[in-house]
Amino acid sequence: MADADEDLIHAPANASAQPEVDLSDETQDFRFLNHLNFFADSSPGIPRRGEKDFEPNPTELQADVLSASRGAMHNALSYPRLHGAKTRVIAFYAPDGYVPPAQPGRAKPKAGGEDGKEDGKSSESTPKPARPLPNSARISPDACVYVPSPKGQFFKTMGQADSSSRVWLLPEEALYLIERGSLDIRWPSPSASAAGPGEEDLSVPMSLQAAYTCFMGRGGLTLERYSVYTGLKRLGYALFRAPGWCDDMEQQDAAVSDASELTSPELHGPGLAGMLGSLFNWIHDPRSTASTATGPIIGTGIHRHYMDVYRKLAIIPWYDPVTAPERHPSDTTPPFRVVFHIYKPSTPLKKSALPTPDFRIAVVSTRDQTTMPTMTELGALLESTPLDPPRGEKMDRMMYMRLRHGYRNVVMAVVDQGVVSYLRIADSAFGKEKLYENKGGPQGPKRNRTNQKPRKR
Amino acid sequence: MDFQPELPIPISYVSGRYLLFSIDAVTYLRREHHICGVLIGTLPQIPQQNVFLGLPLELMPEEARLLVDKGVACIVDEAKAHDGMNTLLEEDRRRYLRDLESQGLHVSRIQSDRKERNREQTLKKLEEKKAKAKAKAEASAAAAQTPTVPEEGTSIPSPKNAAVVDLFNAEDRSSSPPTASTSIPPQSAMAITPATSYPPLPTPPSSSHLSAPAVPPSYPLFAHLHSKGYFLSPGLRFGCQYMAYPGDPLRFHSHFLVVSYDWDQNIDIMDLVAGGRLGTGVKKGFLIGGSQKGIDEVDSEADRVDTVRAFSLEWAGM
Repeated sequence: MADADEDLIHAPANASAQPEVDLSDETQDFRFLNHLNFFADSSPGIPRRGEKDFEPNPTELQADVLSASRGAMHNALSYPRLHGAKTRVIAFYAPDGYVPPAQPGRAKPKAGGEDGKEDGKSSESTPKPARPLPNSARISPDACVYVPSPKGQFFKTMGQADSSSRVWLLPEEALYLIERGSLDIRWPSPSASAAGPGEEDLSVPMSLQAAYTCFMGRGGLTLERYSVYTGLKRLGYALFRAPGWCDDMEQQDAAVSDASELTSPELHGPGLAGMLGSLFNWIHDPRSTASTATGPIIGTGIHRHYMDVYRKLAIIPWYDPVTAPERHPSDTTPPFRVVFHIYKPSTPLKKSALPTPDFRIAVVSTRDQTTMPTMTELGALLESTPLDPPRGEKMDRMMYMRLRHGYRNVVMAVVDQGVVSYLRIADSAFGKEKLYENKGGPQGPKRNRTNQKPRKR
Repeated sequence: MDFQPELPIPISYVSGRYLLFSIDAVTYLRREHHICGVLIGTLPQIPQQNVFLGLPLELMPEEARLLVDKGVACIVDEAKAHDGMNTLLEEDRRRYLRDLESQGLHVSRIQSDRKERNREQTLKKLEEKKAKAKAKAEASAAAAQTPTVPEEGTSIPSPKNAAVVDLFNAEDRSSSPPTASTSIPPQSAMAITPATSYPPLPTPPSSSHLSAPAVPPSYPLFAHLHSKGYFLSPGLRFGCQYMAYPGDPLRFHSHFLVVSYDWDQNIDIMDLVAGGRLGTGVKKGFLIGGSQKGIDEVDSEADRVDTVRAFSLEWAGM
């Protein structure tokens, strides 16, 4: 009657007692937002989850509550994006991409007319080599918004400055900033020829709709990638494009090194140390000549240790992620490819010299990709990330943490129509965790140990 | 509140996805047509969280298709429509900028009004406190007049406190008038980033509308449940294709995990067990269904919707 799993099933029923409820999992009642005073200086907290009804009934009470909820939602969503005079940051949209600064300091994006267009095109293929300023080479050809006088904390983790200290933003950065109401982006002025001071006034602010229209689809930005970018940004992470961002990476050598590298690790050999080790074992154990071909697996004779027996029994080859070769990101198949490098808010960052990322993330859209990745795709994705073996005092002590952490890992964001699920995929090495060699003592409480199946990957 | 937008509502087609930017359209479709979509934007008033999100609203292709088939909405290619930004006339620009400025002025006036009201309230509170403190001080002073030396020691701090309060008050009063006066001048108008590009752009003509969105094979079941009054939202995160809510998800929990199958498709029993147990575990029914007629047997998707059959699975007798 009372199965253990039945308890599990009923556990979510009193989930309100658990602190770990993901509020973003379900639609929240926007009425809670009304309790917040948006005009207050202090940043408001997030309201708690509320009660919901089981099903509609014809009572007026329910109708009133629902219309109040909808009204609150309407109010919250119609709140305008405002820019106070002091905190306002103005940016300009440059439809042709990066344009080097014109001679007299800062100028309009189209100031050069012909000049500007030419550069925009050439920078699509390669950044101009003969650029006099070293800075400008760093600016991505995808950048399309510039901020003449950057201020505020956002530019610490966003944008690239050019030689005249204008900051160029990538499409996702610009869209994120305009959406959170921190940037006032302007359309390029139509009459660029008359470079008077009064002419600036006619630059029309870009609407949110226009920003989505202009930036989405530009330089490889998809709505799914943007959903992941902005979702993590809202939580405080810093994100940067990974080398795998462009789908049409150099793929010429991708076909050559296809599936063959995923085969068992013996092909690559155990390395010099490993060979020496096995030589030692061979010398140490005179009966090691026993082989499956000529006799019983464990050989005949006296065995002083269970360990010896188990070692002999381990005849099934297993995958060792440590010896697997690292692969170039171009070996992976989009969308199973790292597109963002993610840094925790606590990681000290310098835009010019980024440290190793805390997480690597691949973005998958459920409407374009409806199947699980194949072994080849997943293997290539994992092997394109650097080795990250489980280390640390805790990991050394706890085997299951080691197994869960794995030797390589990648986060996959699965985006289903704006709803994002994150999965962490790790390369566990069960073969490396020899239960019979457990540090608790190989001769220790055997009964418990041997009950656990030595699983192979 | 019960605003009725002009029909058909334009759905923005941006880089292969269907988005809504107008709050009036969003509330109208939710209220009248049970279409919720998914909010994907950052709320500018509380930007660092993921619990409450804002515009734009992403619609599933199924939702967009349903609205187009009903004649409630049309699909607009925004990239093409926004080409009009370059050819905007100068007077239109001027008018638009003037509009925005007056809106900004309006907002900043509201804000300064609110600030003023808040200030008055806190001042009132302070005054009340002061009056109370004074009364207390007087009372304790009166009490202190008769008795002995040690009590005098306790009576001293209270006037001191009152003086401190007074000091702050005086400071407040002297500093507040300038702030109030600075918020009045017109040049402090807030700049506004509008949510949509219409007004400056003209409404696109109906000839430029795109055709109805292509939909996945699960569309008939989606449309069937929607026609029965359910609100549907994407469900992959919960292990199904759609979540079916009996009413607005703002107020109700969902009742079904929905998965669509083709009529002749073999269903793996393991899928049913997994789905059934998952649904029961979260107090929902696992609903499977599909339309009897294939797309090649009928004239339109609408005819398939009538032939949909649905079944719900629940773990019983435990």
